[in-house]
Amino acid sequence: MEVLREKVEEEEEAEREDAAERAERARTEKMMRQVEVRKEETTLTQEMLRDLEKKLSEIRIPVSVEVPAFTKDTIDISMLPVSYKTNTSKEEQLLQLADNFSRQYSHLCPDRVPLFLHPLNECEVPKFVSTTLRPTLMPYPELYNWDSCAQFVSDFLTMVPLPDPLKPTIKREEKVLPKKYTIRPPRDLCSRFEQEQEMKRQQEIRAQEEKRLKEEEERLMEAEKANPDALHGLRVHSWVLVLSGKREVPENFFIDPFTARSYSTQDEHFLGIESLWNHKNYWINMQDCWNCCKDLIFDLGDPVRWEYMLLGTDKPELFLTEDDSGINNEDDVENLHSWVEQIEISPEAFETRCPNGKKVIQYKRAKLEKWAPYLNHNGLVSRLTTYEDLECTNILEIKEWYRNREDMLELRHINKTTALKTDYFKPGHPRALRVHSYKSMQPEMDRVIEFYETARVDGLIKREETPRTMTEYYRGRSDFLSYRHVDFGPRVKKLTLSSAESNPRPVVKITERFFRNPAKPAEEDVAERVFLVAEERIQLRYHCREDHITASKREFLRRSEVDSEGNKIIVTPDMCITFEVEPMEHTKKLLYQYETLMHLKKEEKLSRRQVWESELEVLEILKLLKEEEEVHTLTISIYDTKRNEKSKEYREAMERMMHEEHLRQVETQLDYLAPFLVQLPPGEKLTRWQAVRLKDECLSDFKQRLINKANLIQARFEKETQELQKKQQWYQENQVTLTPEDEDLYLSYCSQAMFRIRILEQRLNRHKELAPLKYLALEEKLHKDPRLGELLKMFT
Amino acid sequence: MNRLYTSLEPRVIDDGMLKLAVGEQRPQEEAGKLAKQEGILFKDVLSLQLDFRNILRIDNLWQFENLKKLQLNNNIIEKIEGLENLTHLVWLDLSFNNIETIEGLDTLVNLEDLSLFNNCISNIDSLDALIKLQVLSLGNNQIDNMMNIIYLRRFRCLRTLSLSGNPISEVEDYKMFICAYLPDLVYLDFRRIDDHTKEVAEAKHHYSIEELKHRENLMQAQMEEEQARREELEKHKTAFVEHLNGSFLFDSMYAEDSEGNKLSSLPGVSELLESLTYRDKFVIICVNIFEYGLKHQEKRKTELDTFSECVHEAIQENQEQGKRKIAKFEEKHLMSLSAIREEVEMPNIEKMILECSTDISELFDALMTLEMQLVEQLEETINMFERNIVHLVGLFIKNVQSLYPFCDDLLCTMAQCRDLENHHHEKLLEISISTLEKAVKGNLDKDLSEDVRGLFVDKNTIVNAVGASHDIHLLKIDNREDELVTRINSWCTRLVDKIRRDEIMRNRKRVKEISLYIDHMKSELDNLEYSDILD
Repeated sequence: MEVLREKVEEEEEAEREDAAERAERARTEKMMRQVEVRKEETTLTQEMLRDLEKKLSEIRIPVSVEVPAFTKDTIDISMLPVSYKTNTSKEEQLLQLADNFSRQYSHLCPDRVPLFLHPLNECEVPKFVSTTLRPTLMPYPELYNWDSCAQFVSDFLTMVPLPDPLKPTIKREEKVLPKKYTIRPPRDLCSRFEQEQEMKRQQEIRAQEEKRLKEEEERLMEAEKANPDALHGLRVHSWVLVLSGKREVPENFFIDPFTARSYSTQDEHFLGIESLWNHKNYWINMQDCWNCCKDLIFDLGDPVRWEYMLLGTDKPELFLTEDDSGINNEDDVENLHSWVEQIEISPEAFETRCPNGKKVIQYKRAKLEKWAPYLNHNGLVSRLTTYEDLECTNILEIKEWYRNREDMLELRHINKTTALKTDYFKPGHPRALRVHSYKSMQPEMDRVIEFYETARVDGLIKREETPRTMTEYYRGRSDFLSYRHVDFGPRVKKLTLSSAESNPRPVVKITERFFRNPAKPAEEDVAERVFLVAEERIQLRYHCREDHITASKREFLRRSEVDSEGNKIIVTPDMCITFEVEPMEHTKKLLYQYETLMHLKKEEKLSRRQVWESELEVLEILKLLKEEEEVHTLTISIYDTKRNEKSKEYREAMERMMHEEHLRQVETQLDYLAPFLVQLPPGEKLTRWQAVRLKDECLSDFKQRLINKANLIQARFEKETQELQKKQQWYQENQVTLTPEDEDLYLSYCSQAMFRIRILEQRLNRHKELAPLKYLALEEKLHKDPRLGELLKMFT
Repeated sequence: MNRLYTSLEPRVIDDGMLKLAVGEQRPQEEAGKLAKQEGILFKDVLSLQLDFRNILRIDNLWQFENLKKLQLNNNIIEKIEGLENLTHLVWLDLSFNNIETIEGLDTLVNLEDLSLFNNCISNIDSLDALIKLQVLSLGNNQIDNMMNIIYLRRFRCLRTLSLSGNPISEVEDYKMFICAYLPDLVYLDFRRIDDHTKEVAEAKHHYSIEELKHRENLMQAQMEEEQARREELEKHKTAFVEHLNGSFLFDSMYAEDSEGNKLSSLPGVSELLESLTYRDKFVIICVNIFEYGLKHQEKRKTELDTFSECVHEAIQENQEQGKRKIAKFEEKHLMSLSAIREEVEMPNIEKMILECSTDISELFDALMTLEMQLVEQLEETINMFERNIVHLVGLFIKNVQSLYPFCDDLLCTMAQCRDLENHHHEKLLEISISTLEKAVKGNLDKDLSEDVRGLFVDKNTIVNAVGASHDIHLLKIDNREDELVTRINSWCTRLVDKIRRDEIMRNRKRVKEISLYIDHMKSELDNLEYSDILD
């Protein structure tokens, strides 16, 4: 028989299993509902991944009998319900049936692998596999469709190689995972021509790719030839089969539980199928698997291809008229009860996903680690490490994904070969950072910072730095600046402590470019200006007019401000070299040139200041990033009631207040008349006489209560006093013989008793004072009571 | 008269005064020295102050083309004049003068701030051109009619108004009235109008304002309608078929035709005129021609659009290439220039300079080649376009004139108009002859007027009358046809001429630009040479 090569061992812990099972159930249940809705297809739909896991877990158990290395200790059997530990008579009957079936099978097909019909469960009790499945609907929308559900299960499962890869029997599952809500592919709006072009291009690429791949493969093959798989075709595996039909599933496909990936039934990795089951029935494959699963026909209603174990359950696709199989047991079949408990997945468990919230998946030349959110203090949720070699020793690059970080860091990409780190931020960083790639956190090193320019006042998009230059790109500024490039010279040494802040590098050259300002004519709109600070030159290049190919240029030399005789030279004609596309008169004037030069000088100062500010900002950003890296606070959504301490406190306070309020209300609603009204016939209107009586009764009752209370206090007071007197007497009598300890005891008793007496006395006095007031208050209240008020008023 | 003519002589603005004023108001310090050294051209002056100079007459300001701000306050000006050329003016101060009427401001469309404070103005008008007006100061004048406020409603940008010191500001309702009728006003008499006042004012004058608005809207709608009609007609004119979408031509045929009108009163003639056979057919032909004309106009427009688009693209593409070449050259040139500056060895320098000048001439050749290439290409395209458009026009003319119908409707050419007319003429002649016969026999209808009876004297007279009517009709048709043909032909010629002229202009401009650039480059290199030699 054909067996999948994968050696799989299931998770040990029962809880884990539970979680996964729940998920599966969720789906199954949904499917079941669907089945109800559409009667047309009565099928074996309901199976779930859950089945899979169940089976897997069961499979494992026989193994564990032999190799008790895993399992056992991790499952607390005592906590499991009775159904896990015993079999009901029905189950027994079913097991017998299965046994019978299995015997017949092994008789008829002696060369096939024994059936996986009734493995032992975690309590070492044999159970029929179909009963290990229990369709359950879960409250998480992610678990409704097969892909996200499978993802969840695969996250949950951890692969542990079996000690003996051939031991466990194989199980297969049947499932129809309906996919009613899968979105339809977006409408194809591409042009045919483009597609063709694209295709041509792709073909070329593919040809190259293929060539490359071939080479690669050859190389790999060589590498892998070293260890050919001796067990090919012998290993067993369990996976999920989804049958087409329900929930718009167009065709049958497999789901691999460990990767959550779906495979076509034609996939050559699946070498064959022994048997299938769902929560209702069990089928044996009677077809030849010489060509993997490619020729298999998944028509479970066809008894020639699929030998079923239980008769009478819903027929899958075929309308079977005759069953010639020997087994039929209607009433068992009618209701196959699952013995497993309903899966319950708490929101925390759902969020945690993997056991302990951590999962490591090893791939060829790569390792993927996953963590549950909030598990790591720095918000790390997954890390992908890729290696250069198969042994996973030389790291090529690392990608780390973060979530819920206060600094909005989303992804960090570390390229080990170039040592380049790139951080990606989501919108919301205090400095509007978008991407930050760097090699070192030291200032004035190679680095590129990109920003969310809409979040910045100055419209900065990107700032690139090298040790000697800084380039900034802008967009959407009112002065139309689009680009600024600064060349720095070597830092002048200072005797004082020189930091980047106190001793900025000297600026050698500033190049600024501007977008076209539509309000100005092109020949007056500067496109680029270069301040050659060291050479004291300023170059201007203007925008090119629509119908021209050359642009005006102007160059100012501002060297000597003082001539040979010490006179201040304002401006001389040779200080400005001009090329104008269309010579204009007014620009030839010295005055114009002088004014332009003055303006430019001012601008230069401004630009230098901005450069300095940019440098400062970089320093600040670096400081901020460092701080964030050290503190890495995580944000907690206000809707996350579990983690948000503040909201929790607030909620609890609210609850407490509500509770108190409720108590108070109950108190105020106490109806002092109720006991008396009960005596009267219900529903009748009170007569005046009754009202008066009622009032009197109520008052007298209250008076009595007050008196009783007074008496009670009085009685206690007296009792205390008497006891004290007795004690005192006793003390006086035995004073001589008393040990110091006893004396201390006595004294403390006395002081306590005195305290009690005093309190009682106070209470009594208070009661005496308050009693008349309370009495009057009640009388008043009764007068005002709507039920009595009218009548009493008439009376008075 | 606000001020008496004092001892000082009244003056007129003259060159000397202007020079003085400009000199006084030039920039200070270094810039001032420079300005003095160089002199200032009047047309570079942006702001001019001519106050307290006893000016009586504004004159000689035409040179200040770019003036933005002009102050003429505290003079004795009596008439606003001589400001027609100052179209860039934004700020005009004419306060404290003796102006009586507002005039002479019709060209100052950019004016935003106008002060006529303390004059003798009694009526606000002649400001229609000042659509950008924001601030208007008319305090201390003689305005006494509230209706002047309504005149101000047309200035949509007006925010500040001062009218205090006028007779109308004494009116009790003054403030409310202004607030209500000028709702966009923010400051009145230098005070901000608060929202409360606005509300009260609006409530008070609610009804009259609504009425006013209604009238304004009506007028607006009317104007728009008029505008639309004019545009429509304009469109028809560009298709050369205006007034053909109705009985206009037919009516015009009879407008000057006294005989025809007389004859139409003959029994049977009016039926002939009204019946489907003539008038309606004629109108149908006109409408068909009209529609055909519009269709053709559309075709010509598409043709022209396609052409201009293609030409534009070609020019753009060519410019891009040119720009790329220049950019590449400049990059290299800059490098070599700095290399030359740093080089010390004289022979090397010379070699490099030589290289540079070769580069420059290469660039020149490349650019000129590009340009020549474009010229050739465009020439070809223009010729093609000309052929096509001439063909289109010819087709249109031919079809409109032709004897045979060119489309499914059988009635659609001018020739058919003439046929119809001829046909009608024959019939009319027939009727006339028969009527004449009757007249000869003496049993003419009693109800015919004397005029008509006068025609039926003898055969010659009646035939002449009918013939004259016919001639007039034919003339009208011919005229209309000629007009159409002439206009469309001249349009076509003008269009092609313009295209050619534009292309020539473009070419000259480009060549000039290139040579200017190359000259500049060369002279830069020469300068470098000299300075090197000097060093």
